[in-house]
Amino acid sequence: MDNTFPAEEKLFRAVYPPEVVEMFWRFDGKVSSAAFADPRGLSVDREGERSFRQAAASMKERFDGRILFLRVKNCTEIGALVRYLPSPDNPYHSEIHGSESAVLLSKVQRRHLADKAVIVS
Amino acid sequence: MIIAKQMDVRSNIKKYFDMAYNGEAVVVPRKENKNIVIISETMYNEMMSRKRVTEYAERIASGVMEKAAPKRERPSDVRSFNLGKLEKIAALANGWNGNGAPAIPKELVERVRRLLHALTIQPEIFPTALCSIQFEYDNTRRDHMEIEIGAGEEAEVFIVRYDGTEYFESVSADPDAINELVGDFYG
Repeated sequence: MDNTFPAEEKLFRAVYPPEVVEMFWRFDGKVSSAAFADPRGLSVDREGERSFRQAAASMKERFDGRILFLRVKNCTEIGALVRYLPSPDNPYHSEIHGSESAVLLSKVQRRHLADKAVIVS
Repeated sequence: MIIAKQMDVRSNIKKYFDMAYNGEAVVVPRKENKNIVIISETMYNEMMSRKRVTEYAERIASGVMEKAAPKRERPSDVRSFNLGKLEKIAALANGWNGNGAPAIPKELVERVRRLLHALTIQPEIFPTALCSIQFEYDNTRRDHMEIEIGAGEEAEVFIVRYDGTEYFESVSADPDAINELVGDFYG
């Protein structure tokens, strides 16, 4: 894997805090854009060479609470960047940044991603 | 399908609009292949409908089915619900988002509590990792409004209209100003 992300690749995100599962869920069943505000970069796991089921299962094993996914194109179509930032214990770790120069996603970007997010569990 | 030069379309726009309205796609070639296609609203709606069906079929084929959204009944007493949720927000410890988010300051929690008591129309409330609390409102026109309450005297307002138009403004983070803003949003 490298810093190339196909448009359809899925990016999995665990929505914290796990002890208050409904914290970011609206009455209409959608996730709030507030869940996408992170000044340190929005951490996600890229699907990589895995199948959807494998990637989702890996997320469910490691995180409590709700898991959702976005597609890379959901980010790029609003000017957000997906960076491949693997860590020693997670070769799939990536982050979504607002732009080349801004880590934090703008309000417009957060709202768009909240609208496009698909709930896995 | 009809191909028409840009200049020709400009001078005979009604003619080409009528063609599009009657079901013809009018292609207007432009430099660097930045071509435009004029179609009727009916044709556009049909295309979007087909696109949605195709995307749905792809999701089924890939085994990626969107789970039923965990919709919840809107509580009969949203203010009490919000005040209860605010207690949970106040209890979030440093690092609550798994990525170093600071706990929500007590002063902000108190400020939001006062606002919730004073607001005529209750929002949905959410914490952010930016030391702020976000109010969300949705009206029957499908407009969406976010009001971000932080440490400052001003609250940031972000509105997305049903047609995708976006607005930003700031408003004094006091009950009167927010009640007026929300009243306008629902008016």
